[in-house]
Amino acid sequence: MNGWEMRRTKLLALGLVLVGFGLGLGGTGTTSPVPERFQIQIPLGIPADLWELMIPAENPMTEAKVALGRDLYFEKRLSVDNTVSCATCHDPRFAFTDGKPVSEGVGGKKGARNAPTVLNAMFHEEQFWDGRVKTLEEQVLQPLINPVEMAMPSHDAVVAKIRGIPEYVRRFQEVFGGPNPVTIENIAKAIAAFERTLLSGDSPFDRFMAGNPNAISEAARRGWELFKGKARCITCHEFNPSSPFFTDFKYHNIGIGMKATQNFEPLVRQIQQMVQENRLTKEALDRLALTEGFSELGRFLVTRQPKDLGAFKTSPLRDIELTAPYMHDGSLKTLREVIDFYDKGGEPNPNLDGGIVKLNLTEQEKADLEEFLKSLTSDWVRRVARGEIKLAAGSTSENPTPRLARGSRSSRR
Amino acid sequence: MRMTKLLITMAGIVGLALVATSLERRTAGAQQPQTSGGSDRLVVQLCDGETKLEIAEARAGEILPPEKAREVARRMMAAYAEQQAKQVSKWTARDRLTWEREQKRVIEEGYKLFHDWKALGGTIGISCDMCHPDAAATHPETYPKFQTQLKRVAALRDMINWCIENPMKGKPLSPDDPRMIALEAYITSERKGVPLDPGKH
Amino acid sequence: MWPLKWKKREQEYRRQREEFFEAVKRLNRRDFLKVAGLSAAVFTAKTVVPPHSFQVVDVVRAEPQEKPLFRFAYISDTHLYERELNERFVNAALRAVRDVNALNPPPDFVLFGGDLAQLGQPKELELGKQILSELKVPVKMMVGEHDWFLDMGEKWRELFGPENYSFDHKGVHFIVLMSVNEKDFWTERGMTPMERMLTVAQLDNPLQSRFEVGEEGREWLRRDLAKVSKDTPIIIFSHSPLYKYYRPWNFWTEDAEAIHEMLFPFKSVTVIHGHTHQLLTHRIQNIHFHGMLATAWPWPYAPEGLPKLTVPMERPDPFDEADGTGWGSVDVHRDGYVDKHYSLWSRNPITVAKAYLESWGKEAIPPAPEFPPY
Repeated sequence: MNGWEMRRTKLLALGLVLVGFGLGLGGTGTTSPVPERFQIQIPLGIPADLWELMIPAENPMTEAKVALGRDLYFEKRLSVDNTVSCATCHDPRFAFTDGKPVSEGVGGKKGARNAPTVLNAMFHEEQFWDGRVKTLEEQVLQPLINPVEMAMPSHDAVVAKIRGIPEYVRRFQEVFGGPNPVTIENIAKAIAAFERTLLSGDSPFDRFMAGNPNAISEAARRGWELFKGKARCITCHEFNPSSPFFTDFKYHNIGIGMKATQNFEPLVRQIQQMVQENRLTKEALDRLALTEGFSELGRFLVTRQPKDLGAFKTSPLRDIELTAPYMHDGSLKTLREVIDFYDKGGEPNPNLDGGIVKLNLTEQEKADLEEFLKSLTSDWVRRVARGEIKLAAGSTSENPTPRLARGSRSSRR
Repeated sequence: MRMTKLLITMAGIVGLALVATSLERRTAGAQQPQTSGGSDRLVVQLCDGETKLEIAEARAGEILPPEKAREVARRMMAAYAEQQAKQVSKWTARDRLTWEREQKRVIEEGYKLFHDWKALGGTIGISCDMCHPDAAATHPETYPKFQTQLKRVAALRDMINWCIENPMKGKPLSPDDPRMIALEAYITSERKGVPLDPGKH
Repeated sequence: MWPLKWKKREQEYRRQREEFFEAVKRLNRRDFLKVAGLSAAVFTAKTVVPPHSFQVVDVVRAEPQEKPLFRFAYISDTHLYERELNERFVNAALRAVRDVNALNPPPDFVLFGGDLAQLGQPKELELGKQILSELKVPVKMMVGEHDWFLDMGEKWRELFGPENYSFDHKGVHFIVLMSVNEKDFWTERGMTPMERMLTVAQLDNPLQSRFEVGEEGREWLRRDLAKVSKDTPIIIFSHSPLYKYYRPWNFWTEDAEAIHEMLFPFKSVTVIHGHTHQLLTHRIQNIHFHGMLATAWPWPYAPEGLPKLTVPMERPDPFDEADGTGWGSVDVHRDGYVDKHYSLWSRNPITVAKAYLESWGKEAIPPAPEFPPY
């Protein structure tokens, strides 16, 4: 039994208890007698039980924790010069990305990777383009201290800075209790909890799948058929009701970043050397991932397996219309460029995934695919992007936990 | 009118059968004694291949005079009618023969398509058998099942079409295309008797 | 992003490569040498480096307990059609060549494991020769049935020399043994050479005969072995597995027992074979057997007869055209037994160590797949 199965079984048991309890309460007509029990509306198209399964037992969801996490998510004081927050690169206005080819941290320093969306990130078994950490909690720790992102000198420095803000100390006390509630682990837990409320579903395509044939245009419907068939998209951008995220969560070399003939051997040798000398720590790995050249090694940085050279995680496609530019290095500007890229069979390189082949799509077919991709944008995400719904930190009471509009199912924790 | 014609035809058939059987008996009798029913009496068989009648007054190998033959024919028709009355199946040995022959023909057609990339519309010299000798690793007994290429539960024919379109670089077949049915017939024939196990990976 | 000079080199490389293939298209026997020269220029010119290869990455290979004497690499079962019909197999063969060339340090030589061509046609064989001529280290050629049965080896001999030969390397006696002879099934059926070829090329075609070394081959082997002392390590290359695995697909050598008898007196014998396109491990007394991967496509495991020592590879995913295929390398130890490395393109590499075979499968067990064949 692997870790996932174990967690799944454990959580399933837990989930059943809580849901059962919730239903009992519903029967008596009580709304929320237990304040710790977190309420969230799961958007149409996302399996509510999967949301429950993916909540780690060691970081249960509470309203107060999510509110704290939200404020920390928008908190620029988490960076060394008080200019960068999580939201700088994962900005609600860009569907929780930043609209830039590669992200910029303090002082405009550039990394080497395009900011992936936080939406539905909780459903990923591994985080980052190369999957170098498993959980959102682990993910949060890295940008804080990466010199090209928030650039804090250490996690201790982050903790010290937050401890210096009495309002935060009080709220950490409230949420986590104990004599010493402000820790780096709790900072990560709060932010991760907030991120687990950032869900994308309820797109026109979800309504189409739910039985409304007119929820998407005829062109989009043709695009959906191509997506499943001739264009071969669905094999990696997996979609089915059990896994409706448009990604297989696996790593593939499609040739992005391979455009120049680059001799990777010296870089690979350096990685080998670092492994042998036990120097490839999590922090070192994180820095290499955002360093030009090394970044292109992709999943290889994590596994050091030849088959993973230049391989990156399949990007999810929800809200893709709002998250340009595309690919792990932001090198493709439009959806049409992306479609053209796949149509020609990716970029030839020695480790090109054997599933990437020429597609021979017609102009009409490309246009249809693009229409289909545009049908994947969540209404809620679009409204957030337009500023119709504000998530910004500050007044918790006026900014309740995101209630994801028009959810088909609700779930209590 | 039609009935009369049919009866005449039947009688004709019976007559022919009778003669044929008698001749056969005579030849057989030369090699080994007639032992049917513990005697050497003449046994005649109807052309349905099943109905048999023992003629008490004639010995094996004996050729009956026309009058007697007509009498035997009448008795045989009666026996046949009796057999028919008892029959609960609407299908005859002849039907089964047709079924088997058709099944075999379609399986053979499937075998040909399976081994011929051109006949199946492939374009790069890859035929089914190159990855699936004797239809190995097609496991038709596991369908419908979740196919990782399609990311959904799919039928065997979906995968046949997937293979035609992808590795073979051809055009998928319509589900009622005789070639599709032939391929299914061949592939399943290679796994005859294997228990169904839908969803197995 | 990358220095401009790399881009220029890349473009130059692409251009020359296209030219190379254009030339191959126009190839006839007279032009052969000319094109061979061009090919060499394309692929070995110092100024034009082929794109980096990723197989340089050798990190996963655990340090062997005992440092091997030397290493050779193999490429096998390329099954080339002409490029106009099938580019996929050509690209796969080129990828293997590129990967082997990138091995650092380079192997002592490369074994080509047979079935260079799909239908034994001169153009297919010549294309294969072109591609293999890019290899930086010497190549030892072995014939497969797909190379043989159109003209019964005529073109093969012309291009690559005799089908049976032996050589010595660093104290090991290597034997390349033609094991895919078949008893005549074609004359009485009045088959044309192409019909004969197509019959043999179809793995599950029951009309053909079973593979065998044959009387002549065995006699040649007997004479060759007579020159070698019994404690000299022997490594045999054969296209078919030199034992009996599954008869209907010719995963089989009909006179295997007679060959084994000749080999039992030797202290250390290893057989490296092609044809089966899969991970395959077997041992009979002192003889260790290893299968080779194909570059073209993987075969499924046969319904029965799989040697017990084989830890099978997972069923390949046809969406990924490279899955289940690749090339490999062989580390030869002082006693002649080998560690066999399978460099699968879409999976983590797998090593079948000498210790695994020596312990009859008790030690150094290779990883078993989640979804084995059934």
